[in-house]
Amino acid sequence: MLQVLIQGFLLSGLYALIAVGFTLIFSVGRVLNLAYGAYLMLGGYAYFYSVQTLGMPKLPGFLFATGMGALAGVLMYRLLVKRLKGDQVAVEISTLILAVVIQAGVVLVFNDSSKILHPIVGGVWRIGSTTITNNILVAMVASWIILGGLLLFVKKTHVGRAMQAVSMDAKGARISGINTDRVNMMTWAISGALGSVAGVFFASYTQLNPSMWVAPLIIAVAVVIVGGIGSIVGTLIVAHIIGFMEIITTTFIAAELRGVFTMLLIIGVLVIRPQGLFGRGDL
Amino acid sequence: MKTSAVKTGLAALTLSLSMSMSTLAFAADTVKIGFIGSFASDAGRSTLRGAEIAVEELNSAGGVLGGKTIELVKADTGEDVTEGIKAYEYLAETEEVEFIVSGDVDDVSLGWLPRMVEYKIPTLDTWTSSITIIDKIVEDYDSYKMYFMNVASDEALATLYVDFGKDILAGKMGWKKTVILQEDTAFGGAINGLVTGLLAPEAGIEVVDTIVYDPATVDFSPIFSRAVESGADFIYIISSVNSQVVSSQYVKQQVPLAMTGVNVAALGQEYWEDTGGSGGGISTLSPVPSVGFSLDPVSQAFADKYVAKYGSERPKYPHFNGFNAYFGVKQAFAAAEEAGGFGLDKWVPAMENQDLILEKDGELWMRYGFWKPGETEERTGRTYPHNLRFDITPPYDDGAPSMVVVQWYEDGSSKVVYPPKYANGEFQVPSWVKK
Amino acid sequence: MARPLLGWAIFAVAMLLLPQFVSNGTLRIIIFANFLAIFAMSWDFISGKTGYISFGHPFLIGIGAYTSAILSYRFGMPVSLSIPLAVLATMVGGTLFFLPALRIKGTYFALVTLAFMELMYQLVQVIRPDLTGGTRGISGIKTILSGAAPNFYLSFGLMFAIGLALWLLSRTRLGTALDAISMNEEAVSGSGLNTTRLKLFAFMVSALVAGLGGAFYVHYLGSIAPRALFDINFVFTIIVSVLIGGSATIIGPIMGAFFMTFLLEYLRPLLPGSERYLVYGMIALVLYVYQPKGIMQILKNLSLRTRGPQTGRSGNV
Repeated sequence: MLQVLIQGFLLSGLYALIAVGFTLIFSVGRVLNLAYGAYLMLGGYAYFYSVQTLGMPKLPGFLFATGMGALAGVLMYRLLVKRLKGDQVAVEISTLILAVVIQAGVVLVFNDSSKILHPIVGGVWRIGSTTITNNILVAMVASWIILGGLLLFVKKTHVGRAMQAVSMDAKGARISGINTDRVNMMTWAISGALGSVAGVFFASYTQLNPSMWVAPLIIAVAVVIVGGIGSIVGTLIVAHIIGFMEIITTTFIAAELRGVFTMLLIIGVLVIRPQGLFGRGDL
Repeated sequence: MKTSAVKTGLAALTLSLSMSMSTLAFAADTVKIGFIGSFASDAGRSTLRGAEIAVEELNSAGGVLGGKTIELVKADTGEDVTEGIKAYEYLAETEEVEFIVSGDVDDVSLGWLPRMVEYKIPTLDTWTSSITIIDKIVEDYDSYKMYFMNVASDEALATLYVDFGKDILAGKMGWKKTVILQEDTAFGGAINGLVTGLLAPEAGIEVVDTIVYDPATVDFSPIFSRAVESGADFIYIISSVNSQVVSSQYVKQQVPLAMTGVNVAALGQEYWEDTGGSGGGISTLSPVPSVGFSLDPVSQAFADKYVAKYGSERPKYPHFNGFNAYFGVKQAFAAAEEAGGFGLDKWVPAMENQDLILEKDGELWMRYGFWKPGETEERTGRTYPHNLRFDITPPYDDGAPSMVVVQWYEDGSSKVVYPPKYANGEFQVPSWVKK
Repeated sequence: MARPLLGWAIFAVAMLLLPQFVSNGTLRIIIFANFLAIFAMSWDFISGKTGYISFGHPFLIGIGAYTSAILSYRFGMPVSLSIPLAVLATMVGGTLFFLPALRIKGTYFALVTLAFMELMYQLVQVIRPDLTGGTRGISGIKTILSGAAPNFYLSFGLMFAIGLALWLLSRTRLGTALDAISMNEEAVSGSGLNTTRLKLFAFMVSALVAGLGGAFYVHYLGSIAPRALFDINFVFTIIVSVLIGGSATIIGPIMGAFFMTFLLEYLRPLLPGSERYLVYGMIALVLYVYQPKGIMQILKNLSLRTRGPQTGRSGNV
């Protein structure tokens, strides 16, 4: 039981980190960024390239990956989203195409065999039959810190409050003098950076490969759907529901059904309570 | 990144344009053969390059079939099943090749197989070990007779594993109980079925638990916990799609049980680099010639040539299927010389009779031959028409070794640890596992 | 009515004469384009017409393909029976697809269909692999015809019949009502029409086409594997075909499917490796962002421009 608790919290922390950048765009920009998984891929590969190929120290490598993600976010916003102003379906479809393009690009540059990242922080310790790597522990702590920081940022800073305003009512925000374009761009940059950070942790947990963007995208989508258009706290809660469900399925039911339950949960929630468990909240 | 990709694209464009120009020049007296496989995977590239070297050698030795030049046409599958079918059609209908060498994975090969039956083009697979395809030759020889597979199939793999269990895991290490971790794939299911049935009666190892897991599993800690709690002495892993994840998490989490089995990721020389060195202690069955396998002089010459030619770009060292493609293409042409071309009536029997024995220090080391239709392998009691002729009965002096067990040590070196004839290292448990 | 019908007739005659002029290799490419066109039209009938964007269309196609494959391969059923049954099964699947559409639309509907596809992908591998062949799939499924030209006629005939039927359907009052749903669903229901029944109808037609396409497709390929069907790249190809061609126009998805298939195939000799997919995707992306209404709109603009300078502005994007 203790083991399920520990493993559940660790995995859920990672999932929350994966989902939060996606939620952010969905709340503020009101669009689903289906190329969100590509941020994770870019982040992971950028870190791999700088640290494991070029031999840079870990921290600069991490910052490089984060920067790449933010840059990708800004470019996506400038080149795609802004042009397709407000057309949700067009944004979804073009980001889906973009994700496929990025995947092809990664295959071209890095070959399609899988690669493994070193743990960002090495070492393990054991409780009973449960092994905890420091790496995943750091991922969980980082996830809590980042989520907390983001919450503070949104509530306390000027930019954050502007984001909140746009998320609640874009038109109203514009009338009251907020530069929505800038706020949107900031949000895309932050989302990209968050995605990249999540990508480094996700990849250090699993592996790097050119189709790795699909799995985290599905996790993020699941969190957003189950939670509803997301508050940051809602994201955290739902990430735990999904994380724990997965650990419980794997431990007590059947490991091969891991993904099936997540899909059933998504479908069930969408059909029974389309607005999500927590409804439509602000950030 | 985008601009560099565009640049590469442009470079490739001009390159391929100039290449297609140059091939036009001597189109008259050529034999066209095709390569099908992924251009971006290590497996695909190994086969392609093995075939390229074979073609080069045959051409520079005066050509084939009365002085004709071989032209190798390639079609990319991107490891996508539908693209694989299109690629096969392209080779057959647009390029009209006479022979195809493939470096495809299981489902891609199974995808284009109906096309092969339709076009009746002699085809050699060098990577997939899918027994399903061999079964089709058993059931319907006339339709599938143009197919050859020069990798030992699933059955041979499982049998060798049971022997390894008996001699080393039970015999030397004294392990009595195992827990099977099986990736939820058709390959995993096939191997699991075979091994589970044989381990207890033949090797005296009891299977205490079987955990089938989703290939997309993110977190293996609950699975490893279950394995540890099962009370087994070691983990038997069967993994072909996402092997890196399970093996690197095994190393990162320092799971206190030895883990051995089938781990496709560990088959290539790039494994160490790809795992950033966190793959020590992993052992796996591998088709031959594996990493760490001592080579006979002929294979060594091929490997040296490969490294000199392609050593700067991955895979820097050929995977087993690179060797298979090299020897297989040569055998296909040797058969064509005897049969006067690739007409099935004569080529198929000629190919069935190909037998290349590679010796090292005066003993049979590797053998590229095929099981003939109706010929029964004694140990498993079944037939394997057109599958690589393998030997699973010690002292292994009849066919190619079906498989070997290789181990990656924690210092990054890799050695063959089983069977004894080919072993050049000792089976070890990782340093963090209590003996 | 007469002029477009003449167009369809010319299209049919031109295509039927084609095998006299082009190589078998090209015919093989067209066969894939025909099937893609069928899938694109099926997608378009839900998503283009009613505005319910489906990201999980392979779910429907897969039901058709797998049902017919399993019935004929595992149970030896003749194709003439397995295909109709597969179509029926797909329509049952279509109702499953339809249930969420009762309550949600837009983005959420797209996501639930994506979840359907993922679920199917996982289930096909886990449940009864002895029937589905698990991850390796099934190979050696009965094919209806063999050879490039016969299969070309068959696939074209199927595609043409579906296209013409959908086109005729879309010209009826029913078709107009469906179009109206994508504009403003509330207004349609306000005008006294039963939107639920209309939507159900659209879903059933779409599922019927997907089932037919999927079943014939699998008996053309002769093999099936989960990775080939329930894949986001397959969704991508279908959706992009429709959008590049021009959605809700019937002929648009057909053109888009041909464009996408030939684009990828013509890149093969130039860019043999993965560069091909990169260039292919980028062209699709640029085309889509440049003209989300697709080739049909580009052609319209061009013809406007050539007809008169006063309307030329609309072509000057």
